[in-house]
Amino acid sequence: MKIENTKAQMRKGVLEFCILSILSKGDAYTSEILSQLKDAKLLVVEGTVYPLLTRLKNAGLLSYRWEESTSGPPRKYYGLTETGKIFLSGLNTTWNELVAAVQIVTKNNESKSTKK
Amino acid sequence: MNKTININLGGVFFHIDEIAYQKLKGYLDAIRRSLSDDPQGRDEIITDIETRIGELLSDKIKDVRQVVNESDIEEVIEVMGRPEDYMVDDEIFSDDSYTGYGKRRTKKLYRDGSDKFLGGVSSGIAHYLNVDVIWIRLGWLVAAFGFGFGFIVYPLLWILLPEATTTAEKLEMEGEPVNITNIEKKIRDEISQASARVKDGIEDVSEKVKNADYKSYGEKAKSGSQDFIETLGKIFVTVFMIIGKFIGVLLVIIAVVTILALLISLFTIGSMDFLHHEWFSYDSFFYNSSGLPVWVISILTFILVGIPFFFLFALGLRILSNNTKTVGKTTKLTLLGIWLMALLTAIFFGTRQYMMTAYDGSVTVRTEVPYSTLDTLRLSIESDKGIVDRLEADQTWETRHSWDREIVIDENDIEKIYSNNIRLNIYPATDSLVYVKTRKRSKGQSRQDARENARMIEHEVVLRGDELQVPGYFLSDIGNRFGDHRVYVDVFLPENQVVYLEESSRSFLYEVDNIQGVYDNDMAGHHFKMTRDGLDCLDCEDFEINTSAPETDPESFNMKIDEDGVHIQIQDEDSEKAEVRIDENGVLVRSSKDSI
Repeated sequence: MKIENTKAQMRKGVLEFCILSILSKGDAYTSEILSQLKDAKLLVVEGTVYPLLTRLKNAGLLSYRWEESTSGPPRKYYGLTETGKIFLSGLNTTWNELVAAVQIVTKNNESKSTKK
Repeated sequence: MNKTININLGGVFFHIDEIAYQKLKGYLDAIRRSLSDDPQGRDEIITDIETRIGELLSDKIKDVRQVVNESDIEEVIEVMGRPEDYMVDDEIFSDDSYTGYGKRRTKKLYRDGSDKFLGGVSSGIAHYLNVDVIWIRLGWLVAAFGFGFGFIVYPLLWILLPEATTTAEKLEMEGEPVNITNIEKKIRDEISQASARVKDGIEDVSEKVKNADYKSYGEKAKSGSQDFIETLGKIFVTVFMIIGKFIGVLLVIIAVVTILALLISLFTIGSMDFLHHEWFSYDSFFYNSSGLPVWVISILTFILVGIPFFFLFALGLRILSNNTKTVGKTTKLTLLGIWLMALLTAIFFGTRQYMMTAYDGSVTVRTEVPYSTLDTLRLSIESDKGIVDRLEADQTWETRHSWDREIVIDENDIEKIYSNNIRLNIYPATDSLVYVKTRKRSKGQSRQDARENARMIEHEVVLRGDELQVPGYFLSDIGNRFGDHRVYVDVFLPENQVVYLEESSRSFLYEVDNIQGVYDNDMAGHHFKMTRDGLDCLDCEDFEINTSAPETDPESFNMKIDEDGVHIQIQDEDSEKAEVRIDENGVLVRSSKDSI
């Protein structure tokens, strides 16, 4: 197994959750989502996001509207739908559980390895 | 200096130079391919990506007149990520879990468009069977030319098998699991190939760009049936191409074989003349009256035949590959000049040779044979034993060839030309005496010359006791070597004269008429009596002739003549039979339809 693959898989797995989280704070257009994800160092390249957004939209979790922009062409603003909100809260719970579980496991292993 | 192209990215207008345009286009195409598993969402995603690229470029390009260049596009790609980065959703959204390692996908049979000779059928099968493609192609050749069915099966597969166009399909074809690593690898290969192509094809980019829009519209409009027709069209074009190539191969093979054969004969026949061996030289002695040595004639022949075949060879090569450098103009003209010179020489000497034998001439000598009609006359052919030192014992003339010609030395130690081209015939005499007419025939530059040559032929019929001896050969002057010398010996017999044809005459008898219709060769060893109706065989008893008429089957016509009488049977294609029987009971005629 390549370490890069595993890292990418981990990062990409939570991407969906993060996108939904960003949009839960308010509607945003693609560039805003991208810059937030990039600031958090969650995203290396932007390309990954586009198929995700489309899939989430097709799944009914997101919707978008066109909004005129002061500079350039109209922008695509994404927002959470009702199902998206429910989906996100579900994910939130799972995420917290997961973080807790991973912490317990990794800590246990750390203490074990220090004992040795 | 680069041309620029105007493009619209997400509603924003850009000037972009050609190289950058090709790079961007290749990038978007690669993304499109990597997203091909999701045809509905793909266009939308591409639009989003284009919009984003437009935004990124707008940040860089402040002035409207500024041109987007290659490094700008490289930076954008850096930000956007490689095409394989767009593949993330497959693992997240598809229901089956990550199929990275261990699990082997089944292979699918596709045509491989990237490694094709005709339609990529062979390479597709090779991927499927995991063998080298060359074996499959050889297999097709055997199937096509050995058994014939390859001509039908191959086009059928060409039509029926889909071509692997998307990355996923290509991976399926090769039996690789469809996962990120493999797709990444594959796409990287494709991109490097594409960029190599871009470098080669910068000159015609503008042309491509012009056509690009129409092309994409055309592709969208293309339905399945059009696809099929297009494939069919491609097949036709290929078939014609193959026929052309086949002709090319044929031309090259024929030319090479002919030139090789010419070379070999040039060195054998030509060198044999140098050797001056009796065996090899005597032939040319008789046939070559042009006065030229044989090696000159060999070279002439080589040039006359070889040069046209050399051009044929060049033509074949040209058909086979378009970029073969054809023969230079100077070489061409030189070869043509040499050829024309050789042709003129050949015509000159050829005409001279022909002139030497242009006219026929003959001399007829009548020899009276003082012979009483009471006894049987024996007709024999005198042997040439002692005159020609033959390798094979040839006393009986069994293996006589009328074209045998040799140089011999006669009893007076003079070199003479020997020939045995003699034809013996028997006719009824107009008076009551036996006589022989000897017609000597020759050729020459003029009628006079030909007669002169004919007169030089030494041939004399001799009567010894009851035996009429005809020499089986004739001699001629050494200088008189050209021209097809012949001697016709016609023996004239009065009525009721009986003649016995000795065995030695067998191969000399030529179209001798007789009542029974016995063949010339079969007449020897029999007694014949000259009657009013012609020669009548006296001892041809028990004679069975199986005549094969030109258009009848040998078995369908059967004639038997023996002491019981005559019996003829005929059977035609419709198995109708007819039968004629003449015996002591009278004449009987029968046919399968009705008896007469």
